Amino acid sequence: MAVQSPSLDDPRVLVDTPAAIVDAIPPYAPRSEREAEFYALGDGQMLLNIGPHHPATHGVLRIVLKIEGERIVDLDPVLGYLHRGVEKLAENADYHHSIAYTDPLEYVSSLFNELAPVMAFERLLDLRVPRRAEYLRVLSCELLRVSSHILFMGFMALDMGGLTPILYSFIERDEMVDMLAALTGQRMLFNYMRIGGVNGDLNHEFLSRLGDWMSRAGRQAEAISTLLNENEIFVKRTRGLGAISRGQALNLGLTGPNLRACGVPFDVRRAHPYSVYPELDFDVVTADEGDTYARYLVRVEEIKQSIRIIDQVLHEMPDGPVMARIPRRITPPPGRAWAAIESPRGQYGCYAMSDGTDQPYRFRIHDPSFVNLQALVPILPGCLIADTMAVNASLDPIMGGVDK
Amino acid sequence: MAVTPGDHAGEAPPASQMAPAGGAASAPGAVVPAATGAAPAATDSLPELAPGSALAEAIFVANELWSSSNTAAHGGGHAPSITHLAEFEEIGERGDDARWSSLQVVPAKADIVLDLLRVNSLWPLLSGLSCCAFEMMSSATSRNDIDRFNMFPFRASPRQADVLIVAGTLTTKMAGPLLRLWEEMPEPKWCVAMGDCTVSGGRFKRSYSVVQGIDRIMPVDVYVPGCPPRPEGLIYGMLKLQRLILERRGRWSARAVGPTVPAGR
Repeated sequence: MAVQSPSLDDPRVLVDTPAAIVDAIPPYAPRSEREAEFYALGDGQMLLNIGPHHPATHGVLRIVLKIEGERIVDLDPVLGYLHRGVEKLAENADYHHSIAYTDPLEYVSSLFNELAPVMAFERLLDLRVPRRAEYLRVLSCELLRVSSHILFMGFMALDMGGLTPILYSFIERDEMVDMLAALTGQRMLFNYMRIGGVNGDLNHEFLSRLGDWMSRAGRQAEAISTLLNENEIFVKRTRGLGAISRGQALNLGLTGPNLRACGVPFDVRRAHPYSVYPELDFDVVTADEGDTYARYLVRVEEIKQSIRIIDQVLHEMPDGPVMARIPRRITPPPGRAWAAIESPRGQYGCYAMSDGTDQPYRFRIHDPSFVNLQALVPILPGCLIADTMAVNASLDPIMGGVDK
Repeated sequence: MAVTPGDHAGEAPPASQMAPAGGAASAPGAVVPAATGAAPAATDSLPELAPGSALAEAIFVANELWSSSNTAAHGGGHAPSITHLAEFEEIGERGDDARWSSLQVVPAKADIVLDLLRVNSLWPLLSGLSCCAFEMMSSATSRNDIDRFNMFPFRASPRQADVLIVAGTLTTKMAGPLLRLWEEMPEPKWCVAMGDCTVSGGRFKRSYSVVQGIDRIMPVDVYVPGCPPRPEGLIYGMLKLQRLILERRGRWSARAVGPTVPAGR
């Protein structure tokens, strides 16, 4: 099988030349000045390829490190190994269908991936959602935020060699997804948010599981905190590592816990309130240091805030329908709408354009993982090779969201 | 110890089909039973081993423990020409009774003992591509605990793994690295396609960048559908894989690696 042109879109090329694809130096001539500069090695320097299959890169991220001894001089993250063409697929699906495409983007927090497009479509339609549905959205999302942050704690320890916390994490995560499966019908890709409301009302199994969980909420998170927070190895490896200054974070466009760890109290739930968050009482957790340890601590605190929100939501849940009365085939008037929410990783936004048909004309997804991952390039040079894993884990990127 | 691929079936795959990177465990040049076709040679005993072969010798154990009530039924008590179970199934005899009664020996080839060892210590490769990886990890942690079924250490290196669980959407950009992982695994090896995306493309089947089922580029032994499958589903699939290994139905030696489209797609 002859290979005519090395097009990255042709699977045969990749199959025929697998070695060239994962070697550190690309098989083609440099395409930009930056590439030419990066792949030209100085004296005593070498390239170290990490990924795309690596247990500590959170999926299929590939990082090419330029190292001098044990120190990182420069790095080149290579993305696109999980590019599934969601935005293009959504253009050829109707509005309900495109929610199912966005579902597996950030697969640890699927409900947030559904909520943002659903809110954008509702703004296109100028639709009001029943209050009970809003409360159900907040309830399920905050449950999933706890699950996501607890997984983060486990994976961060795992990437640095601590094998125990991930077991605690998965005990809690399995409990949460089983609970949400009782509510939504699916264990991981829930497909729960619908345009105009949610898919199902509270049921007995969900409430009994939730009540059971609330009686010991956060216990697993505390168990992990006990293992990690004052663990000498963990603290020594994370404190002061990969610090981002406040201005640098704002310039990079970081959002979410990574930004709040730098001392900027920006939370979309407070800054641009949506759903019923204005009625709920919670704190925006911040830290000042901006280092890896601070990013970890901010997430630990956010778990407690989420549990606080869940408690309030359960007490104030109104009665009523969970779906607005809308036709099955929806055709929003031509226009544009933007909706942003606070996902566990930051500001997750959706920009939808309608041309009056039942399919989105353009559907843009702004994913926080992608933006946060940029921070690797300015903060990693100067660190040790092993710190790549710690810093990458603390930024908590999910490659499904990065590559879309 | 080198266990040759395809030897049990009486045929040797062409050397070009051997995974080039798996040279640590397979020695294609050293063991070639020199069979010309797919049909097993009709000798009066087990297929002959090449001199100097690293394949373990067959162990003959007389079947004195049990015999069929009707000795004329299956082969009439004559020594069968084929003694391996997989080949015996091919000639149409099905069912445990028929299988065992016409054999004069219990086919306790060392291969079968090795198969039992392999089945009871399957080491999967820790390779998550996307969503399904979390259910795969969930199956390995406390609640589901795939360790109970003798599949414990998720190895991070393909050199130490037996099973490749492809968990998550395979895109065209990842196809090359994944194939390289598969070729780096030493033989014998097996592949499990976990999730709709790897089985057929799933909900991303119509995307321009997604491989529509990993069986287009590599052999697959067990398909576990679901989006994503529950951990129980994966465990069920892995139990099926154990049985498949015992029955010697693995496909890693029979099919070439490369961009193939199976018939009927």
